[in-house]
Amino acid sequence: MKLPETQLALLEATGATDRTPVEPLAEELGEDPAAITRAAFELEAAGLVDVEERAVEDVALTEEGERYREAGLPELRLRAAAAEAGADDSPAEMGRLVGQSGLEGPEVDIALSNLARKGYGEIDGGAIALGEDPRYDPEADPEAAALESVAAGEADAVATDVLDRLESRGLIERTETTARSVTLTDEGVTALMEGVEAAETVGAVTPELLTSGEWSEVEFTEYNVEADAETVNGGKTHILRQTANRVKDVLVGMGFREMEGPHADADFWINDCLFMPQDHPARTHWDRFALDVPPMAELPADLLERVEDAHRNGVGSEGDGYHSPWDADFARAVALRGHTTSLSMRYLSGQAAGDLEPPERYFSVEKVYRNDTLDPTHLLEFFQIEGWVMAEELSVRDLMGTFTEFYEQFGITDLEFKPHYNPYTEPSFELFGRHPETDELIEIGNSGIFREEVLSPLGVECDVMAWGLALERLLMLMYGFEDIRDVHGTLCDLDLLRNVEVVY
Amino acid sequence: MPVVEVDPDELRELAGAEDKPDAELKADLFSLGLEFEGETESGGFELEFAPDRLDRLSVEGIARSLRYQYGHDRGVYVPETNDAEWAIEVDESVPEERPYVTGAVVRGLDLDESRLESLIQLQEKLHATMGRGRAKGAIGVHDLAMLKGRRAVDGADGTDATDATKTITYRGVAPDGDRFVPLDDDAERTPAEVLETHPTGDEYADLVEGLDRYPAIYDDIGLFSFPPVINGARTEVDEGSRDLLVEMTGTDQWTIDRMLAIVCYALDARGGRIEEVDVRYGDRQLRRPDLSTSRKRVAHDRIERTLGIDVPGTEVVDLLERAGLDAAPADGGKRDRGVPEDAPDPDAPDDVALEAVPSRTDGPDTALGGTDPASGDATGGDATQPSTDGELIYEVEIPPYRVDVLHPADVVDDVGRAYGFNDLEPTYPNVSTVGGRHASSRLEDAARDALVGLGFEDLLNFHMTNEAELFDRMGLAPGDDALGASDPPTITEPYSEAYTVVRTWALPSLLMVLENNTHRAYPQDLAEIGLVAGVDPEEPTGVEEHRSVAGALARTDASYEDAKARLQALADAFGASLSTPPTTHPSFIDGRAAEVVLDGESVGVVGELHPKVLVEHDLELPVAAFEFRLDGLR
Repeated sequence: MKLPETQLALLEATGATDRTPVEPLAEELGEDPAAITRAAFELEAAGLVDVEERAVEDVALTEEGERYREAGLPELRLRAAAAEAGADDSPAEMGRLVGQSGLEGPEVDIALSNLARKGYGEIDGGAIALGEDPRYDPEADPEAAALESVAAGEADAVATDVLDRLESRGLIERTETTARSVTLTDEGVTALMEGVEAAETVGAVTPELLTSGEWSEVEFTEYNVEADAETVNGGKTHILRQTANRVKDVLVGMGFREMEGPHADADFWINDCLFMPQDHPARTHWDRFALDVPPMAELPADLLERVEDAHRNGVGSEGDGYHSPWDADFARAVALRGHTTSLSMRYLSGQAAGDLEPPERYFSVEKVYRNDTLDPTHLLEFFQIEGWVMAEELSVRDLMGTFTEFYEQFGITDLEFKPHYNPYTEPSFELFGRHPETDELIEIGNSGIFREEVLSPLGVECDVMAWGLALERLLMLMYGFEDIRDVHGTLCDLDLLRNVEVVY
Repeated sequence: MPVVEVDPDELRELAGAEDKPDAELKADLFSLGLEFEGETESGGFELEFAPDRLDRLSVEGIARSLRYQYGHDRGVYVPETNDAEWAIEVDESVPEERPYVTGAVVRGLDLDESRLESLIQLQEKLHATMGRGRAKGAIGVHDLAMLKGRRAVDGADGTDATDATKTITYRGVAPDGDRFVPLDDDAERTPAEVLETHPTGDEYADLVEGLDRYPAIYDDIGLFSFPPVINGARTEVDEGSRDLLVEMTGTDQWTIDRMLAIVCYALDARGGRIEEVDVRYGDRQLRRPDLSTSRKRVAHDRIERTLGIDVPGTEVVDLLERAGLDAAPADGGKRDRGVPEDAPDPDAPDDVALEAVPSRTDGPDTALGGTDPASGDATGGDATQPSTDGELIYEVEIPPYRVDVLHPADVVDDVGRAYGFNDLEPTYPNVSTVGGRHASSRLEDAARDALVGLGFEDLLNFHMTNEAELFDRMGLAPGDDALGASDPPTITEPYSEAYTVVRTWALPSLLMVLENNTHRAYPQDLAEIGLVAGVDPEEPTGVEEHRSVAGALARTDASYEDAKARLQALADAFGASLSTPPTTHPSFIDGRAAEVVLDGESVGVVGELHPKVLVEHDLELPVAAFEFRLDGLR
């Protein structure tokens, strides 16, 4: 017969008649008691030993119990002070006694209540008189004696009710453990006589081991399970995309539909529809990426006319236009969009998804392009989060409420609204929120209610409000990256992408 | 966003808030929309602001806004002006590209260093914003004492003998037609020489270079200003100057008139007395500065609707006065719009009647005239009747420095700002809509999930790149018959050589990432699904755009099979049939490259990258790669 090493050692060490306790055996063999216990049960299952279990109670003094063992129980100390002060004749003042007995803090109350309980003293109006009929002899207080017994390891000599009392006073701790001991069965004796060999330990679990059944006879080598394993780089969605997906989830959850549209677009859609005068500084080549392609011929003629009219003459009887030049060729010039509001214009005009009727909510999280200088916090192309709501009537409070809801999903609360200016919204706000970690007030978005000069040419007669934010900014807030170029773009650091925490 | 430097102590003094602590001042400025950016070395505040309120480009303008906010001032204020003593004559030689001029005289100024600095900063900032870098409007400020106006000679050139105005002339001059000593210079120069040799001349040369004649302003002594470039040294303003001529020239009359109004208000705040100037064009004559107010009619209902609050009429009027405007209920169209701006309105009701204005929660039954005893008064009653379409409308008077008010919405914004937007309780719009993702982005996400599931590191690379990266370093030429070889959309005026075109294919981006990460552990399995584009006249924008799926496996034993295996897994995931007939592609090893054909359509390429491409990118191990159109998986 072959047995795993630990089982064999246990079998051999077990006496036939004596009950061999497991704990001392484990120590003798230099093994973990849990391993020996496991082996004992395995041997029992094989019918080679019997395992007996016994509940054992372990009693020990608590820290407080130890203190009282050395200094004396508080009630005894108080009683001694009272006796010394002649309290058997006349009641002694409590304060004086407390001071003399050296009792402090909670000990005072403990002393008083036990003093009364045991009849050592009577307390009346701030004075203590010695009890005339104490329950115990103060010189032979059973609880004090019990403390000594427990300390000496002779807890079983103490009466149960005294132990109970000590436990309720918090002076001892009783724990129960299971002590196991092993004896050989007749089969066990026979096996030993016939001779048992130790089976080798096994490394890898192999298909052969499993199919042959040999697995039941072998012992598995213990591995150092704490050691580091080799680095595994699984596939991973780009952290910025994860953030974008999170944002999209939140927006879809708030009832927004996703927009789609071209990255290269006519300035008409990007700026003119937005009531940006054609000589606005942001429309110079310093800020935008004009492309070397012919001007876009396909612009809806009537819309173009209405937008030009809005620029020149304003909208409504009280509207004024811009004192800026208008050139249809400039409107047709194609550039990489500086914001995804070009998509919003395409949708609001009815070009992208047909005529829209309120209520509607649309969003986009996509790339925009700006001729900035590349530096740790600026890229030439980045993601813009854009959302707009169309309803019969909207107020700035609805605007505030919508993005309060949105930012709360990212742990950014306590928004502040700074009045701001955009050529295409009025009123407009910059949104400020507290950085989740540094608690700094930082700008987290731009928003506003679209002007009539924008909506009227598009044929929209109800209210539309919009807000936007750079996705990278949200990412920087959530992660505290120092250089966005490590994350977004071809200059990225692969290890940073591999090691960054997931967004959920 | 422009930044203005302001001395906080001067600001406090002008705003009448001498003891206000810094933190409170900054908070007040924040609620005006002026963000504190930092402090200068001398302790000045750097304030960033939005370009709608150009009147706040100087400490005087900001102080004015604060005064209104604090309640020291209310309602519209227009400085008084004295009659003109000077005239600007516009000669027909003026270049037609910059034909407009305006001006004002300001007397009795006590200019110290900080006031002069403030004026110069205002000039600079107006140039940068409304002046469009001086292209649209250019400001010249001159010491009036140094000017000699030409006086009309009795009866000569048909002028009135009693005309005592002193005239200066705005005209055109040939580039080398005259000389003057420009500011910061010590010798006489012709205008052409100024453009060549003077630093300011160099900066603004492109504004006048193409013109036959350059703009110039003359007095009786000679040329003293060369707008939009530089003034002459003769009329330089310093701390001793007491009377100033402020002139502006440009391409749009309204624009320069507004810039002038802003400057006049600033100088008025410093105790200057504004004096008119006659501007004499050949066909018309203007009195300037134009400090007339304008008017907008704003419906009460619009205010309540936009701000989302119920607000009584008295409060609206109060808030508008605190914004520096004036408002009164309009009388439903009976008012004559031609009434001069400072005439008292005979129909203006008193405040008692305004309190009876119904707010939007009141039903029509509680309308005016019901229970309010004041409405029994005959004159008051007429004026408090809402206009004929049943809603209350305000007529709002707007001072000339408000260049941002184009529409009643701008007035509503003022009401909101005075009320304090931060005091509004947010509400969630009570309309329900159903959200959803666009089909194309769902496809992209599904493909990305499949790639990540295959162990690829998903990348997000730039769409912009340059031709060297796109073609040369990949061993490809735009004219080749191969994936990625097509005309890239080119940026017209790129600022960086690294970003000159939009990429036509994505593999070069993956190669660049591999190149930048040779110090990171291998294997590196990289993938990207992103935009690629090409010039295509058939497209409405002239640019064809689509999503491309690209993958690259960089590992010591990378082989064609590795790439194809993953490609196959992708195709299987989308239920598309894949075949890979051999092909040639300059970036790949001949005999180890194939077309990616999904469901019978040729959509891409797969293979082992050519060593010349690998070596070019400093790579020391093989790379198997593929790229194909995302919509091939549909």
